Amino acid sequence: MSQLFDYEKQREAESAAKVRALEALLIEKGVIGSDSVDTVLAHFETVAGPFNGAKIVARAWVDPEYKARLLADTPKAIAELNLAQGMDGAEGEHMLAVANAPGVHNLIICTLCSCYPWPILGLPPYWYKDPVFRARGVREPRAVLKEFGVPVGAETKVEVWDSSAQIRWFVVPERPANSEHLNEEQLAALVTPESMMGVALIELPAI
Amino acid sequence: MFTRFEEFAVNSMLGQKDSPPRSHGRLQFTQDWQRSLYGLALALSKAGHFEWEAFRQNLIGSISTWEQLPCDNQPPWDYYERYLEALIKVLQEHSLLDTDELQARLIETKSESTTTDLRNIA
Repeated sequence: MSQLFDYEKQREAESAAKVRALEALLIEKGVIGSDSVDTVLAHFETVAGPFNGAKIVARAWVDPEYKARLLADTPKAIAELNLAQGMDGAEGEHMLAVANAPGVHNLIICTLCSCYPWPILGLPPYWYKDPVFRARGVREPRAVLKEFGVPVGAETKVEVWDSSAQIRWFVVPERPANSEHLNEEQLAALVTPESMMGVALIELPAI
Repeated sequence: MFTRFEEFAVNSMLGQKDSPPRSHGRLQFTQDWQRSLYGLALALSKAGHFEWEAFRQNLIGSISTWEQLPCDNQPPWDYYERYLEALIKVLQEHSLLDTDELQARLIETKSESTTTDLRNIA
C-alpha cells in the first residue's frame, strides 16, 4: 500500500517539476510572458463562470422586479449587477433568460453546434455537444429530462430553447421551497450550471 | 477580457475525448501543476505559437497511445500526464522546445533542490 502511494507521489512530483521547468524555460526564451499563464487562467476562474449566473439567479429570486426586468431585457438587467468586465459586453448582449415556473419547465440545447452562454454558465459539460443529446433534446425532452433526474409531469409544459450565435439562452430555475431563511449569497451558492441549463432542479441541502 | 480565442479553444475541446475534466461546469484540477499546465497550453496557443487544433491532435494521439499500451506496462490513467506529453510534443514540432534542454533544466533544478536540502539538514 505505502509503496503504491510513493509511486503516485513520485509521478505527481515529476510532472509538477516538468511543468515548472517548462514554464520557466519558455519565459526565459521570451516565448511567453511571465504573467501569461495567470492571465489566461484568471478568465476562467474569475471573469467567466457559473458563479455569474448564480448571482443573477439569486438576485431574481429575492427581487421579483429584477426578475421581471431580467426576462424582459436580459443584457440590460445583467449590466445592472456590475459583474466582471465582459459580462455586459459583446457576449452578454446575446443572452436571454427564461424562467421555470409551476407548470413550465425550460430546457436549453443547441442543435447547430455548441453555442453556450459561457460568461454566465462557465464551460459547458461534455454531453452538451453530444449529437445524441442535441437530437433527443428536441425530439423527446421529457425522456432526456427524466434521465437527468428531472421528472416532468404531463401537466407541466416543456419549452426547449435552441441556443445559437445570436441568442444564448439560460434558465432561471425555481427557487427551492422553504429557502426563505437564506440570504442572496447563500441562495447563489445553491445554483448549479446544470440547473441553469434546465437539466437539474435546485433543492436545499439536507441538514 | 475573455476573448474569442478562449471561447474557440474551450468549445473546440468539448464533447471530444480530450475534453478536460470538469465539476459543475468548472475546470477540475486536483494539483497546482495541472492548472499551470492547462494555462500554459492556452497561453501559448493564444500567443500564436501553434494552432489549438495542432495541440488537440497531439492530445488525442497521446490518449490513444496510452489506450493501446499493454496492460502490464500501462501506467494508471492520468489525463494531465497525457496533456503534458501532448504539449511537449507540439512545442517540439514547432521548434519551440528542445527536449534535451528541458532535461538539462530538470537535472539542474533537481541538483539545486538537493543542495538546498543538504544545507537545511546541515
